[in-house]
Amino acid sequence: MPRISSRLWIGALALVMSVVACTNDPYPGADARRKIYYTSFNEAPKSLDPAVAYDTAAHAVTGNVYGSLLEYHYLKRPYTLIPGLAKALPTRETAADGSVSYAFELRPGLLYHADRCFALAGKGADGKALRTREVVAADVAFELMRVADGKVGSPVVRKFATIKGFLEFRKRLRALRQASPAFSRQPVHVQYARAGGVAGIVVTGKYGLRLDLSRPDPQLKYWFAMPFTSPVPWEAVQYYDGEDGRPHFRDHPVGTGPFRLAIYQKRLRMVLVKNESWYGVRHPEWRAPGATYPSEGSAADRRRGRLDPAYAGKPLPFIQRVEFRLEKESIPAFNKFLQGYFDRSGIISESFDKIVLNDALSPEMRARGIRLEKSVQASLFYIGFNMLDPTVGAKAGRRGRKLRQAMSLAIDVPEYLRLFQNGRGVVAHSLIPPGLYGYSRKYRNPFSDFDLARARKLLAEAGYPKGIDKKTGEPLKITFDTGSTSAQAMLRYQYFINSWRRIGVDVEVNATNYNQFLEKLKLGAYQIYFTGWIADFPDPENFLFLLESSSGRKESGGSNYSNFFNLRYDLLYHAMRAMENGPKRLAAIREMVSIVERERPWIELFHDESYVLSHPWVKNVKSFGLSYPVLKYLDLEPAQRARLRKSWNQPIRWPLWIALALLAAFILPGVVTFFRERQ
Amino acid sequence: MLAYIVRRLAFGFATVLGVLFVLFVLFFAVADPDDMAIRAIGERASPETYAAWKRNHGYDKPLILNPKHGWTSHRRYTETLLVEHYARMLSFRFGRSDSDDTPIWRRIREGAGPSLSLTLPLFVLGLVIGVALSLAVAFFRDTYIDRSVLVVCMLGMSVASLIYIIGGQYLIGKLLRWFPISGFDPDPAVIGRFLAIPILIGVLAEFGGTVRLYRTVFLEEVNRDYVRTARAKGCGEIRVMIRHVLRNALLPIITNVVLAIPFLFIGSILFESFFGIPGLGALTVEAIGGNDFSTLRTIVYIGALLYILGQILTDICYSLADPRVRLGAGASG
Repeated sequence: MPRISSRLWIGALALVMSVVACTNDPYPGADARRKIYYTSFNEAPKSLDPAVAYDTAAHAVTGNVYGSLLEYHYLKRPYTLIPGLAKALPTRETAADGSVSYAFELRPGLLYHADRCFALAGKGADGKALRTREVVAADVAFELMRVADGKVGSPVVRKFATIKGFLEFRKRLRALRQASPAFSRQPVHVQYARAGGVAGIVVTGKYGLRLDLSRPDPQLKYWFAMPFTSPVPWEAVQYYDGEDGRPHFRDHPVGTGPFRLAIYQKRLRMVLVKNESWYGVRHPEWRAPGATYPSEGSAADRRRGRLDPAYAGKPLPFIQRVEFRLEKESIPAFNKFLQGYFDRSGIISESFDKIVLNDALSPEMRARGIRLEKSVQASLFYIGFNMLDPTVGAKAGRRGRKLRQAMSLAIDVPEYLRLFQNGRGVVAHSLIPPGLYGYSRKYRNPFSDFDLARARKLLAEAGYPKGIDKKTGEPLKITFDTGSTSAQAMLRYQYFINSWRRIGVDVEVNATNYNQFLEKLKLGAYQIYFTGWIADFPDPENFLFLLESSSGRKESGGSNYSNFFNLRYDLLYHAMRAMENGPKRLAAIREMVSIVERERPWIELFHDESYVLSHPWVKNVKSFGLSYPVLKYLDLEPAQRARLRKSWNQPIRWPLWIALALLAAFILPGVVTFFRERQ
Repeated sequence: MLAYIVRRLAFGFATVLGVLFVLFVLFFAVADPDDMAIRAIGERASPETYAAWKRNHGYDKPLILNPKHGWTSHRRYTETLLVEHYARMLSFRFGRSDSDDTPIWRRIREGAGPSLSLTLPLFVLGLVIGVALSLAVAFFRDTYIDRSVLVVCMLGMSVASLIYIIGGQYLIGKLLRWFPISGFDPDPAVIGRFLAIPILIGVLAEFGGTVRLYRTVFLEEVNRDYVRTARAKGCGEIRVMIRHVLRNALLPIITNVVLAIPFLFIGSILFESFFGIPGLGALTVEAIGGNDFSTLRTIVYIGALLYILGQILTDICYSLADPRVRLGAGASG
């Protein structure tokens, strides 16, 4: 009995000690005072191969690990390109035959971050295997050829189709591989060389690269501000082949960015650390625009402390390490932000009304020093019609057009935003989002304003008074195909169904998972669908191409899900695509917008608006509006963070003591009585 | 005993073969390899990319009969997905994940650690607390303590695990700020913080059922003759409970324990998913969501193997714990 009692006491003491020492801090104490930026991710990127990665989750890593030839100015709007790894913006040359060339020149002395793959490149002067090497123009050419290579599976092949010989190289490479297994076994860079390379990609010297285009393509330069065109060492592609315990190249990036990926645990965390080989770190004296904090910006930037003289012209990056922690559920992730364990966060719908009052931060959040950054994303969410469908599509002629116009007028978009987006979003009147060339705040689409009476009138004119087909006497039935079966998504879809029901159109939701939805799109087996598009780069072409006929989903598997075909639109698109911004281009864009307004292949709904919260210890914050790496511009004050975290997270222990006291008060009399009766 | 073990192992092997056949039907006949390729690499890849993917993942053979070879050739029957599936699974060559090409063994190895770090302490603590409390309740039988604990157990059993998880995260993690709401870090300095809430909630969620079961077992033993004899000999009540009652009530406890042990490796789907613990339970959910058929197939197979193994171990432990249980060929027990 005495032995058991003493063990019980020890156990109780251990419990008390553990509760007294408890903390909700998820990080080791030693990291509290270091410049570590904490953020979350909910799913590991599928690929970190810069030729393949095309989602924001992957871009958060690849954008920081792979340096690009061009970058965007962090503060200037409209978006302005600046040189990155390139010495200057590319020069454009027009030949006598009208063909265009762009010439890039890399900065000399750029290095890849240290990696064992460079042992393949040979030995250094000291006789030891190389750990890094200089970046050369041939590495950019190699990466462009990887984009063309069908085996790599890059999703942006067509974007480079204007480079002379780009698609021909792709075909040639495939034919050579099919003809000779021995060819396929050679290292990829050897295969590319033996396939003759791409005619329009000319390495003019160690640092010089020229792109010869078959026709003018002003948008091409934007792709050089993305990781698709970052220099990639052939050694990394060859060495990281997934064999003999080596990871795949897609899981082991080797780049030239301000950070390198030090830890990659797909189901736990990703850690970026400052790349000591980055030119901004090795050569601060260059004061390169992509490696120093900007000193120019707007009045709003100055007001919001983004032009602090303490930062202007200072070498980047300021952060030593970036920790991405896996958080599958949004609610715990947001709670951790409120506790100070993540440095920035979006706002979850469940907490929106507590955080934002009258479109501004709540007093409670302001008291904590939290700041809100709002920005309209270069995006568009829309409902599309399948123009190949005999009822809602082009085949129905005037009837179909009036039906689409009526259905467009029946949707109250501001109400939708209020109900499902907490008001976050800008009502879309055209397919071009705010901030992009061609957007007009004054433009009102006559079919975007909610008007049930006009909708009913147009429906009757279409031959469906009150939703009844005059020809057959049968009610009009339409199917709405969706790529999500979640309850939340179904509520959103139901909103549209109810809107159309108010004018008498009976629409049925056909919900499937995303893969099945894609299959339907491929087969053209749908009438109406809901989707969205986020810009790759800040140019209207990136939205207008979504309705160009050669991208028709059914015919070419392209992004024109509506299979919209309008000859005038196509002509204008191709003309506009080759133009630099100016009155001619603007006129072409406006005419294309008016065609979409009249034909209604889409019901433009809204441009998404992002609300990002930042803690007071995060400096130089600015919402970018594009998927773009900005970590190198951010700075932290770890001492302030540690102090605030401590004050916000004092554990509340008194409920435990009360619970234990109540338990003891409840049990002890029974125990005492029991033993007394036994005695 | 040896003959029995051999016979049980043989039955177990036959069951494994059956399980593999069911897996084959579910994962190959119902979900076509072409469909798997489309789901894994998207619908816009070239035909040769699909072919290469199927070749790399071992899906490039016919299902049951290979028409490339004649009826008399053994290759007509062996160079098929069915035989390949059996050969791979039985030799534990699980291949690569359909979703990200990672070797499945590596994924399982990486997931087993976090799973065990959660399930092992949860299992041990749950068992120790469950047995100790049921013993105490049996000791205080027919008092208000006994009745109160039973009421609490019933209440506890009536609440779904999900409510415990969400409530626990909110109360302990958010309001009281004792431990992190979710997440995981294998660093020994902080791992305890991440596991505290799931373990605490896990013990609470299991507590009702365990205490009720073991209490019944102990009460049955308490009223037996040997207990009365021990008391008559002057043995103290606590000594009677621990040395006699607990020892003799081991059989059903062992059944529960041994059956549960294999599943410790598989992890907890619910806890791992909600707390962001990168174990095998969460891997199962990810494999389902990510159309990762090869990983899912392997986890189901390993689960079945462990279950069969657990059954055999339970039978063997029975005989060790209770000499009255005979497992020979002619035994009825």
